[in-house]
Amino acid sequence: MKNLYRYIVAPLGLALICAALALALTAWTVQAEAVPQESKPDNAYCLGCHSKPGMIKVLPSGEQLYLSVDADDFAASVHTKEDITCVSCHPTITAFPHQPVTAANRRDYTLTYADTCKKCHEDKIKPDGMHQKLMAGGNKNAPICADCHNPHTQPKLKDSNGNVVFIEKAKIAQTCARCHSTIYNEYANSVHGAAAIGANNPDVPVCITCHGVHEITDPTTNQFRLASPKLCGDCHTDKSMMAKYKLSTDVYNTYVADFHGTTVTLFQKNSPDAQTNKAVCYDCHGVHNILNPKDPQGGISIKENMLKACQKCHPDANANFPDSWTSHYIPTPEHNPLVYYVNLFYMIFIPGVLGGMGVFVLSDVFARLRHTFIKRENRKEKEQ
Amino acid sequence: MSDEKRYNRFSIYQRVEHILLIASFTILGLTGLPQKYMDSPISIWFVAVLGGIETIRIIHRISAAVFVLESVYHFAVIGYKLYVLRVKATMLPGMQDLRDAIQSLFYNLGFSRKQPKLPRYNFAEKAEYWALIWGLLVMALTGFILWNPIFSSNYLPGSFIPAAKAAHGGEAVLAVLAIILWHFYHVHIKHLNLSMFKGTMSRHEMQEEHGKELEEIEAGQTNPVPDPNVIARRVAIFTPVAVVFMVLGFVVVYQAATFEQTAITTLPLEQLNVQAYVPQTPTPIPPTPTPLPPKPTATPDTTGGAAAPTTWEGGIGAIFDSECSACHGAVAGLSLQTYADAMKGGSSGAVIKPGDPDGSLVVVKMKEGGHPGTFTDDEMALVLDWIKANAPEK
Repeated sequence: MKNLYRYIVAPLGLALICAALALALTAWTVQAEAVPQESKPDNAYCLGCHSKPGMIKVLPSGEQLYLSVDADDFAASVHTKEDITCVSCHPTITAFPHQPVTAANRRDYTLTYADTCKKCHEDKIKPDGMHQKLMAGGNKNAPICADCHNPHTQPKLKDSNGNVVFIEKAKIAQTCARCHSTIYNEYANSVHGAAAIGANNPDVPVCITCHGVHEITDPTTNQFRLASPKLCGDCHTDKSMMAKYKLSTDVYNTYVADFHGTTVTLFQKNSPDAQTNKAVCYDCHGVHNILNPKDPQGGISIKENMLKACQKCHPDANANFPDSWTSHYIPTPEHNPLVYYVNLFYMIFIPGVLGGMGVFVLSDVFARLRHTFIKRENRKEKEQ
Repeated sequence: MSDEKRYNRFSIYQRVEHILLIASFTILGLTGLPQKYMDSPISIWFVAVLGGIETIRIIHRISAAVFVLESVYHFAVIGYKLYVLRVKATMLPGMQDLRDAIQSLFYNLGFSRKQPKLPRYNFAEKAEYWALIWGLLVMALTGFILWNPIFSSNYLPGSFIPAAKAAHGGEAVLAVLAIILWHFYHVHIKHLNLSMFKGTMSRHEMQEEHGKELEEIEAGQTNPVPDPNVIARRVAIFTPVAVVFMVLGFVVVYQAATFEQTAITTLPLEQLNVQAYVPQTPTPIPPTPTPLPPKPTATPDTTGGAAAPTTWEGGIGAIFDSECSACHGAVAGLSLQTYADAMKGGSSGAVIKPGDPDGSLVVVKMKEGGHPGTFTDDEMALVLDWIKANAPEK
């Protein structure tokens, strides 16, 4: 037994240990070769200078390029938390002095990072999105990721369960405002914008609610127009959400039941890219400048304002004409009484007339069956 | 059987009228009801088959025009028959029709053994005819309002337009269902009555449905044909009236069809006049909304005396410390943290040449501009004086 240990187990064990050591050594050397010793600087190295506020480089265009990174914001950002280093995104800057900046102006400098985020966030690149299409068409003003998401301050947008965390809605609108400032100004004064920006209301739509985020669709297409009532309807038929603001959820159904809504809905179902001038929600209510209908200035529950909205498509419309629209009310004796009583009349008249006719028809059927039966009986009697 | 005597019932003109009615009524129903019940899958399918809602509306309006023009012609013909030929107004309803109806019902239910003998137009036919007239009036009136809502609201309250739509839909349902229940039963199901297509009826059919008329025919009571001279005189009066009436009818229909364009045609869509790309200017520096902490300024150490600092320890070191050492400490190829390091220089050699400010790299770099950190003008003056004074440590 001892011999077995001495001659087989011990050398074998030794050999195994040696082999393991050799393997570990090669693995270590291979790894060491993979990361060259000149090495990439860590974040602290870069922040040694760049955390200092006020670092500015003047570009050939005369524009100032801001080089400072707020150390606290950066530490709180998702990229620091996920251990992304400065050189992950700035791969050409590994030592000091840096490679000279060749961009002539700030936009060109920003655009040098157009594909940087793609390395990790490929799934967010949507070639069909409006911005990406513009960029592919050579528009330098089309935003790259970093134009909306400051990579040095971007907080984590999803919690550990993968749910999007609530962020201040105003910030979203203000992000879009950097390029769409006039639309932002309209929106900020609208019933939605005032609630989002002024009261940080979680229910109201901000830009991305209707336009999308990474795959922003062209809002000037026929498809967008025809699908838009559903977009508004998504929130405006949500009973629990609308109850908070005492808003009717009949607005979508009553729209679809009306001439404009019927046409638009049928167009949408039959040919989603058909052109139509039939009114959709935003033709009367406004696009970015939607007001409370009861707004004393421009609210369309005020007849003169409604008339102006009608006249956009019906230039000859007179002061009576706005009453032809049932104002999203299901007809009742209080709202749209004439329609209500016409409907009531037919609800009685149709069964009344058809019922009377039915009595005659059934009596005739009965008589015919009876006569056939009597004839057959008579024939039987004769045969007997 | 085949050589049984047949009785004239409808002239070729009446039969053509009937075909026009079948066609226009059916098309009106088929193109109208899908608009009323537009959320039903059958409607959506049917609308698609017929080429979309706009096409359906055009078909509906053409059929409506045919229907109304047919009615105009029909009224002219009635005028001719009643005024020129002075035939009996056999379609007018009366108390006898009510009695016939009740008696028929009693007979059918077995309460009475006596089957009523019915006139040329029996109560069932009169009910249908007058229902059609009522329907025509309701549908033509409400249809006109829907076709010309802006014109109509010049003379009527706006709420008449949705009310007209409600009535148009309600009447349509009533008309279609009544045709299916009443008309189809009486002339298709009960027995197939082809007199509207053949123009004639058998004696047996006459007995059952127009017993009274049959008796009158067999008793020789027919409409007396008026004297040709009398007819000629009446025609002379009737013709201009009828022509005016029919031209008027045609003009009204044509006007109704072409009156208003904004309500029916697809005007070019007014594009929203929005300039989408309007960047905020000027772009803020820093580009984040985070407010910057106040820039620390070098406060020269004046404890050594009231005079300006001319030594490293007397204040120049503090200037280098606040402006440079953040980078030029551990990194950036040059350390300016201590007097010794500063005098030693960095990877580009010495940066401070005592007595030669213009030859000192630190001054050259500052004057070039573009360096991340910069001296203020006051600081620059102090540093220049210090180098001129051979850059003493103490």
